[in-house]
Amino acid sequence: MLASILSDFGDAIDFIFVSRESRGGAEVGGGQLLELTKTHLELTFTAIAIATLVALPLGAWLGHSRRASFLAITVSNIGRAVPSIGIVFLFFAILGAGFWNITLALVLLAIPPILTNAYVGVREVDPESVDAARGMGMSGWQVARRVELPLALPLIFGGIKISVVNIIATATLGPEGGVVTLGDPIINPSTYGDAGRLGASIVVAALAVVAEVGLSAVQRAITPRGLKLTPAGAPRRVRFPVPKRRVAPQP
Amino acid sequence: MLLLPLAQNGGFFRDRSADTCVADNGVCPKWAIDHFDRYVDPFFEHLQLVVVSVALGFVISFALAVLAHRRRWLVGPVTQITGILYTIPSLAAFFLLLPLTGRGQTTAIIALTAYTLLIFFRNIMAGLDGVPEEARDAGRGMGFTPRQLLWRVELPLALPAILAGLRIAVTTTVGLAALAFYAGAGGLGESLASQKQFKTNVLLAGGLCVVMAVMLDLLVLVAQRLLTPWSRARTV
Amino acid sequence: MNSSNTAQAEGPSAHPQAATLEFREVTKVYPGSAEPAIRGLSFLVPAGHICVLVGPSGCGKTTAMRLANRMIELTSGDILLDGRSVRERRPAELRRDIGYAIQQIGLFPHQTIGENIATVPRLKGWDRARIRRRVDELLELIGLDADMRDRYPAQLSGGQRQRVGVARALAADPPLMLMDEPFGAIDPINRDRLQNEFLRLQREIRKTVVFVTHDIDEAIKMGDRIAVLKKGGLLAQYGPPDELLLQPADAFVEDFVGADRVLKHLSLHRVADAPLDPPAADAGPDAPRVRGSDSLRDALSAILAAGGDRAVVLDDVGEPAATLTIDAIRALTRAEERALEA
Repeated sequence: MLASILSDFGDAIDFIFVSRESRGGAEVGGGQLLELTKTHLELTFTAIAIATLVALPLGAWLGHSRRASFLAITVSNIGRAVPSIGIVFLFFAILGAGFWNITLALVLLAIPPILTNAYVGVREVDPESVDAARGMGMSGWQVARRVELPLALPLIFGGIKISVVNIIATATLGPEGGVVTLGDPIINPSTYGDAGRLGASIVVAALAVVAEVGLSAVQRAITPRGLKLTPAGAPRRVRFPVPKRRVAPQP
Repeated sequence: MLLLPLAQNGGFFRDRSADTCVADNGVCPKWAIDHFDRYVDPFFEHLQLVVVSVALGFVISFALAVLAHRRRWLVGPVTQITGILYTIPSLAAFFLLLPLTGRGQTTAIIALTAYTLLIFFRNIMAGLDGVPEEARDAGRGMGFTPRQLLWRVELPLALPAILAGLRIAVTTTVGLAALAFYAGAGGLGESLASQKQFKTNVLLAGGLCVVMAVMLDLLVLVAQRLLTPWSRARTV
Repeated sequence: MNSSNTAQAEGPSAHPQAATLEFREVTKVYPGSAEPAIRGLSFLVPAGHICVLVGPSGCGKTTAMRLANRMIELTSGDILLDGRSVRERRPAELRRDIGYAIQQIGLFPHQTIGENIATVPRLKGWDRARIRRRVDELLELIGLDADMRDRYPAQLSGGQRQRVGVARALAADPPLMLMDEPFGAIDPINRDRLQNEFLRLQREIRKTVVFVTHDIDEAIKMGDRIAVLKKGGLLAQYGPPDELLLQPADAFVEDFVGADRVLKHLSLHRVADAPLDPPAADAGPDAPRVRGSDSLRDALSAILAAGGDRAVVLDDVGEPAATLTIDAIRALTRAEERALEA
């Protein structure tokens, strides 16, 4: 039994690196898989970019002016309960297939973590620091730019990181909306075979883990040094708040 | 976009024959009522997946947390491992497990359980770490053994954090379980996918997911109020 | 000599439930530390007495206390409870026989007052009825209403919580009580009240108590014996308050008890303790009036304030019964010193 499992994984690894002819005559695996990966990442980054553009300023502004905490929290709570696949299908049903249609669905799913984290990040900035800054004569905009944003940066980036990993996961549903991503071998395995399905799963999982690890490292790097140091002067391992919510539960 | 088919039909409340509504892919309440029984089995399949996965995940994480509470060196490794399990997309996880456990409920449950481990572990640890140090000192000084201290003082005081983690785990698992049908485990995802172009179906199946999440969330909230009467008591 | 508001009664405890506590050459070295936290500490607390451990920050007084119930383990030496080494017993079991009250109190937030107080009795397996009776008894002892038993700690004031902490420590009627600055977190007025209440309690129940404080005034007020500790847990002096105040062993103790030590000593004695003169016709209208139960310190203060050298001592009905002169006060002090030297 172990032998068969190992051989299955062996075939999958082979699929990742070597292209071959599918049953229908098309080329699959190897380089073609790379194409799928590219589309997958394209979709992810587009969705994240748009979502960030929309959610970050909004969340930061809400946090800065301490407004609508109820809204920020409700958005996050509702977002958690809605199945990502439901949104994808809904947009497919309403808008039909297509890159931008699916992107729109992904943008919607990516917004809540970025919005919530931007809100919490800006809002949780030590009010004494903000007070001191205002007292020194900084305008609202300067306070935001020089005090709040740098201090909120780790949390803001954390929200983006959560969304990136989520969207990498949700983008596997792309084929349901007509966009051929790494999800294709998983959802439509007939052309790719079992090895293809397993191979694509491995690549998706790897992408997600690499994104998480890589972005966590960046998050640590951009944390202002002052936040990392303890009074003794020795840096401590920064612990980030538990991602309180995970929108678009990964597919 | 929803309005277009509605406008074409001349409004929501005029001549609502089910066939026309369905043919135009609108939002059809009558169809929903007529076909509601189609969703009952998937609903309970879905519920079962959620409850089993969450329960299993909780038990495993709880055991890990109790161990790590006394042996701090475990915290790092356990967090890393559960973190990776959390990061792996469930859809991919279903098929990574396929060679081992095949299609069906087992695969779905394993993947869903793995996802909850980090949430539970972190929240239980945070709860235990948040117990006031003086309560611990007083407890030890009065003669509690470490095990008695854990069960009679530390865990009860960690309950709010633990239950908060439970709420998060439950609501996210409801959403995730919608994908279980890809692994052959049924659930509301199956209903979603069976007529994925029909808006009424998508909204109904998706809506039922949200309803399930809200119900379970409320259940935990009620349990929290019942189990932690002291958290509401305020200074006279 | 009979002072009524300090715990200076001598003699064995009338209460059978009090144990003797002996420290024998106790040393504690923390791993990784060059200097011992406690070095060769030895003293004996007779049953039913309050022993106050006092000293500057870092002198090891809290460490010494926590060695007694094995919250910290000894490096060398021994601690004997009623002659039996504390090392012989399992820590958890030992602690159930020792009352433990700490500065931050540490009431369990998730339990009611009644449940908090019942903690050790429940650990010891008392039956429900007995526990209930004991909780009622203790609530009355500390001056709280019986209906407080179902409240939660968050609903009580700081002073009330401190009292519950003491009640909780007393619950299983332990032969020894350890108290680490139990009144430290309270404002001075309530602290005074709580100290008096505790002393009143102690007169009734006569437990052996080890009381840690950094406040010399509290030590003098509360202690039957006082152990002044220097940094490193070195015992500078161990004796009753009179001895510390009138015959400090060295410059450290003298410094620690304060330059006003003789005045402090006077506050331990009543007007009635001093050698009084008969009522004099020439006392003068300006002479202050005092009562036999007033402290000598207050009386001296009144005499000085009036500018004279004597005060009129009134009896219960307010009639002059005797005269108190400054010379008499001095005589008392000298007599005390001589008694100590003997």
